[in-house]
Amino acid sequence: MSFSDLWRRWRALTRKDQLDHDLDEELQFHLERDIEQNIKTGMSPQEARYAALKSFDRVDQSKEECRDARGVGFLENILRDVSYSLRVLLKSYAFTIVVILTLALGIGANTAIFSFANGILLRPLPYPQSERLAVLEETALKRGVDSMSISYPNFLDWREQNTVFQDIGCYYGTNRFSLSGAGEPVEVRGSRITHGLLEILRVSPILGRTFTANEDRPDEDAVVILGYDMWQRNFAGSPNVLGQKIMISNRPRTVIGVMPRGFRFPEISELWVPLALTPQMFTRTDHGLSSIARLKDGVTIAQAQSELDAIALRVEQQNPVTNEGLGVKVTSMRDNLAGDYREGLLILLGVVGCVLLVACVNVANLMIARATARQKEFALRTALGAGRWRIVRQVLIESLLLAIVGGVLGFVLSLWALRLLLKAIPGQLPFWMNFSIDLRVLGFTIGITLLTGLIFGAAPALQTSRVDLNDTLKEGGRGTGGGGRGRSRSLLVVTEIALSLVLLVGAGLMIQSFLRLRRVNVGLEPHNVLTSVCILPNAKYTKGEQRAAFFKQLVERVRNLPGVQAASATATVPLSGGNWGRSITVEGYPVLSVGTAPIIQHTVVTPDYFRTMGIPLLAGRDFNDSDTTGSQLVTIVDERLARQYWPNESPIGRRVRFGPPEDNEPWHTIVGVVGAVRHQRMQEETRQSVYMAHQQIPVGGMSLVTRTTSDPKELTPAIRREVAQLDSDLPVSRVATMEEVIAESIWQPRLYATLFAVFAGGALLLALIGIYGVMAFLVQTRTHEIGVRMALGATARDVFKLIVGRGMKLTVIGVVIGIAGAVALTRLMHSLLFNTSATDPIVFILISLLLSVAAFLACYLPARRAAKVDPLIALRYE
Amino acid sequence: MTKQKADLYKQGTLELLILRLLSSGSLNGWDIMQRIQIVSGEVLTVTAGALYPALHRLEARGLISALWKPSENNRKAKFYGLTPRGRKQLETQRKEWERFSDAVALILRDA
Repeated sequence: MSFSDLWRRWRALTRKDQLDHDLDEELQFHLERDIEQNIKTGMSPQEARYAALKSFDRVDQSKEECRDARGVGFLENILRDVSYSLRVLLKSYAFTIVVILTLALGIGANTAIFSFANGILLRPLPYPQSERLAVLEETALKRGVDSMSISYPNFLDWREQNTVFQDIGCYYGTNRFSLSGAGEPVEVRGSRITHGLLEILRVSPILGRTFTANEDRPDEDAVVILGYDMWQRNFAGSPNVLGQKIMISNRPRTVIGVMPRGFRFPEISELWVPLALTPQMFTRTDHGLSSIARLKDGVTIAQAQSELDAIALRVEQQNPVTNEGLGVKVTSMRDNLAGDYREGLLILLGVVGCVLLVACVNVANLMIARATARQKEFALRTALGAGRWRIVRQVLIESLLLAIVGGVLGFVLSLWALRLLLKAIPGQLPFWMNFSIDLRVLGFTIGITLLTGLIFGAAPALQTSRVDLNDTLKEGGRGTGGGGRGRSRSLLVVTEIALSLVLLVGAGLMIQSFLRLRRVNVGLEPHNVLTSVCILPNAKYTKGEQRAAFFKQLVERVRNLPGVQAASATATVPLSGGNWGRSITVEGYPVLSVGTAPIIQHTVVTPDYFRTMGIPLLAGRDFNDSDTTGSQLVTIVDERLARQYWPNESPIGRRVRFGPPEDNEPWHTIVGVVGAVRHQRMQEETRQSVYMAHQQIPVGGMSLVTRTTSDPKELTPAIRREVAQLDSDLPVSRVATMEEVIAESIWQPRLYATLFAVFAGGALLLALIGIYGVMAFLVQTRTHEIGVRMALGATARDVFKLIVGRGMKLTVIGVVIGIAGAVALTRLMHSLLFNTSATDPIVFILISLLLSVAAFLACYLPARRAAKVDPLIALRYE
Repeated sequence: MTKQKADLYKQGTLELLILRLLSSGSLNGWDIMQRIQIVSGEVLTVTAGALYPALHRLEARGLISALWKPSENNRKAKFYGLTPRGRKQLETQRKEWERFSDAVALILRDA
């Protein structure tokens, strides 16, 4: 149908009165001319009028035909169907409400998950031509490391030698800076970036300028660029801030620019200072930088990868010691950012799509049941001349109306569900995740709504159109259950059960995996431990002794607070995301090259850390106040490292050193062995770990850990007070209990397990409603037959068995198909599972049993009703 | 089925006649009815019940367009005229009709 055609039809409809009036006018004119003509031929006016009217006998019918010619029929009929459907649906409001709620939940869940996936996987990143942005990482595939942070000299080589990128920039993660000098010190997330990086992102400052190459050098770098939000928050959006000197982590820097609203990079950073590194300060064996690049037009990721491979090989040949086995990995920025989420999201989309399918099947089931009840209505309409298409259209319009109402309601639900979902993501959302509703989400919702309407509308529509007039009208309402109809409803029930089984098995696996994950022994006692981050700015605490003294004092003060059992400080809180890796060389073992030396997890702690965290000290001693710069360098190793190198003897007194082997860093003597702790991930700990004494390696960024006797959160204000008394410019951040830290580290598995459980539970409920509906219907339509059976000697028990047997047959078929489907599909979620096989037989068996028992209960009620049938009443009942 | 085809055929003929009559200038419904009668030597008659739906169909298809203007008796009447599309349609239909009637004539003569 062309647009002009539609327009004409629309006009025909909206200007109906006007056009009808025109038609009357036209015919009136004709009549008058006829009369005039007749008078001319000699008739009297009365005769003339009579003759003219007589020749005009079909006038009313011709009017109707004229209207049809206008094209008003199509739209008018549709509107008539719609209003008829509305009346029908409102009359059977219980049915309507059940259907609409089912659909709203299905569509709502789908829209919510789709918005979630859209925000992460589909929406363009918030930078111009973001599809040309790439991320560069280093790899050490020989050591099984497929992505690691990069070193500055390597970055310089890539930047110089490549021909595939417009430019490459690098940055040093997201750091915490303090902004002080005006009132309360505040902590701001920021990043150190190379000059040119903002240009690669193609975002220009709204005020001032970006860094020059000159400012990207040590001692020239006392400049800062502000993000829009922090500029508004802390400087009231005043343009006078340009050129001002402000204190950033106790160092004065001149503000040279302000970035536009909404710009953050990386993650949530909203303050930028020059990276200002030299290859001497940050050598080839120091890894810690991240890199982004903009591809030249027409260059693909694969082309960039192959050129960078060649460059990395060349750099390795020139620096065989430091760069042994190091490669480069080029990925698109989108893949790099969304990679972690992609698999889980796709599986969730599949799951939630299945739920909608179950909902559709259920609604189709209800619709068929209802269509059966309305057989006579349709037969009557057919007898009165309604065409097959007209009846089918009527049913489809009803379905679409239901779907649309369900869709609108579902959309509203999804907004709420999405908010719940986002709450599950810990911390501030990264800059690039944007979950607002866009056209894509709207299109998706509209699309699945219409599709849903068609899917669940098609079955009953086709059924209905096959109605045999004679049979239906003759049957006199007794109803034999309709062989074909019963079969297709049974098929729907089998489908529902099979789909639900797949979802339930998936949920069972996810939940089992999550429970196992939660039971993992982290290696410490997290209950009643509070962690909080405190970062000493290098500009103020220039000497190591100052930093060591600060934390020694702070820990002592906190330890003396009421309710505190133990307190200490560590450079890395386990499972909180900050990890330090270094190469290790063990005395007495061959010295390996940097490319092959194992990487261990290393951290720095103050005395009493192990007692505070509940990590068992297995041998030797803890650090103490006499481990200072003046004394022997000491270290404590975990049991796994001890077991590997000294399986049958004590490691106490042995020596290890860290960093690139050829650097000949000083030896550290092992003074203690502690239990292994999961530092990086709950799922596994690949690295052995070692601990250093803070007095000997006095780093500035530490986390205070405090073990309390009661709710550790209550201690927060006291800790802030103690920190402020030592340094009023120092912000305390990321206050969290150790239990929260652990829970946060597994938020993804938790979210997946929860969503799976909710969706599978919903599907199960729908399937049970479905099987109950079919069984109840069966009993109702076969009351007569049951009566006959009973009259012929069948017992109540036989009847009960007949009905339950029928339901269980469907269940078993569904379960068998479902198991086959689950075996095929759960394999896809293998990577989301922890210590759980995708075909875990216990889960499969338990879920099958659960589903069968539930289905039995759903059959039980109708079967009992059947067994209570009184044959006398049943036979009389016509 | 057969009945429907016959209807279409008849309808097609009437429409062709209307297009032909309008090709020499715009006319109102009554005029068209008169002309068909007169020009065909009173062989063909058309009723208002057939004519007006045909006119409205042609108008809906964009083959003719209508305009209200005063008629001979000074009453406002709806005058129909050919659109360019209608003119093209007339040509093709006329050719088809001629081919068809030639064919029929041929069979009637020779068979």
